[in-house]
Amino acid sequence: MLAVFKRDFNAYFTSPIGYVYLGSYILVLNLMFYLNNALGSSSSVGGLFSFMLLVMMFITPILTMRVFSEDFKQKTDQLLYTTPVRMHSIVIGKFLSSLAVFMCLLLLTLLWPFTISLFGTNNMAEIVGNYVGILCIGAAYISMGIFISALTENQVIAAVGSLCLFIALYILEIVASMFFATGVLPEFIMRIFLFISIYGRYGEITRGLLSLDTIVFFISVCAVFIFLTTRALERRRQR
Amino acid sequence: MITISGLSKSYGKNRGIDDISFTIPEGEIVGFLGPNGAGKSTTMNIITGYLTADRGDVEIAGIDMLRNPIEAKKRIGYLPEQPPLYHTMTVDAYLDFVYELKGATSPSQKDHISGICEIIGLKDVYKRVIGHLSKGYKQRVGLAQALIGDPDVLILDEPTVGLDPRQIVEIRNVIKDMGKKRTIILSTHILPEVSAICERVLVIANGSIVADDKPENLAGTAIGTRSMMVRIAGPSGSVRTILDNLEGIKSANSLGKKEPDSCDFLIESNRGVDIRRPLFNALSKEGYPLLMLRPQSDSLEDIFLKLTEEEN
Repeated sequence: MLAVFKRDFNAYFTSPIGYVYLGSYILVLNLMFYLNNALGSSSSVGGLFSFMLLVMMFITPILTMRVFSEDFKQKTDQLLYTTPVRMHSIVIGKFLSSLAVFMCLLLLTLLWPFTISLFGTNNMAEIVGNYVGILCIGAAYISMGIFISALTENQVIAAVGSLCLFIALYILEIVASMFFATGVLPEFIMRIFLFISIYGRYGEITRGLLSLDTIVFFISVCAVFIFLTTRALERRRQR
Repeated sequence: MITISGLSKSYGKNRGIDDISFTIPEGEIVGFLGPNGAGKSTTMNIITGYLTADRGDVEIAGIDMLRNPIEAKKRIGYLPEQPPLYHTMTVDAYLDFVYELKGATSPSQKDHISGICEIIGLKDVYKRVIGHLSKGYKQRVGLAQALIGDPDVLILDEPTVGLDPRQIVEIRNVIKDMGKKRTIILSTHILPEVSAICERVLVIANGSIVADDKPENLAGTAIGTRSMMVRIAGPSGSVRTILDNLEGIKSANSLGKKEPDSCDFLIESNRGVDIRRPLFNALSKEGYPLLMLRPQSDSLEDIFLKLTEEEN
């Protein structure tokens, strides 16, 4: 697992993908920070993180599209599966490497609270809540993106597929409440929708409601998609 | 060392391999022969645990691949048809990665890897990026990868593909050397490769094994005596009369005149008849020297066609 993690993490930075991901993300976000906090003279980072969430939807596929697709394409999956490593160790290793790149991004954004602290006071609860929230949702996105990439050897399809999934999840809550309001859907389906709504949960965290069940929820989402990825790979072996 | 029993796998409606069984004792080098799509790679992929079979069992050193894949895989080094290389990595980083991936436990990782590179001839490209290497070097990196961890069993899918003639000889010698203490299965299209390295040949066709023998026996029965090209110093007409009257010859076709005062013929003898001695005697009696005699069926395709023909 450690070997896979190390290789994949390094691979992000021996190819342009890691730099494109971090560079484009941080460029857009820092611009937003400048507009929102510097020009707007605000010490609140909430709006910034909401924006980050939106950008993440479009940029996470860059991070995850190659995770398994590339291995299928250059047949390195033959190496991974024929060495004495369990399938879920391979998946977890790759998941953690993508997550680590995402955490590098979060480290870069620590510049914001630092800058704010020079000119004003940070709302620590808001900052911690937002960081935990974004980390949870980032991990969930990454696990989903990796699952999609385990379904195809075409990186473009993997990227577009992940993007569609993220957008579908994003509008899930809105669509559900619209249907509910018009009485098309019964209440219990609405409840299910709200339960699986990632954004609803995220909102709670950013408001400072960091409950255990929300953390468990996000960990479960990752676990489910890591499991599904493992199953998808096993199915490929049986083709 | 390797026991395969009743292995079957199909791809949708296409039959991949069908009820393949064989046993390979420790220290044997076995050649896997067969045309493209015969099922060689599929069989190798199943033995190494990359694919799962629909039916049948694979045992490596008594360990069941299905029940205990981790232990079984520890004993195998595999070079697939396309070497599984990460093109953005350097050779040394890649080999270090494979070492860690395999969980190899030699006293010194550095010595182990550099020893392999020495044998395979990778010293010159050790620090280079794999994607920039020539096909021959990529193939070598693939082979080096298979050797990491010093596995008891080596499965090599066309190990000499893409190498130049000198490298082919080098790599064959390496494989032969390794075969002294390891069990090796290698697949190939090239017949001389089999006779140069292997102690035993399995011919696979349409997903089944059609022959299992020593290479010299296989070559003796299927090639050598059945079809040959001869060049005889003498007038074409008289030579033809001799050939036509010789017992055991199925057909003799004139190939024209390639050298002054001689004629060429393509002779096909009846099955099981070695025509060479009677041919020589008949010609020398008439005073026509035999200038050249060349067996024609030296390709895998011919052996293969004959073996499948016999099947039918």
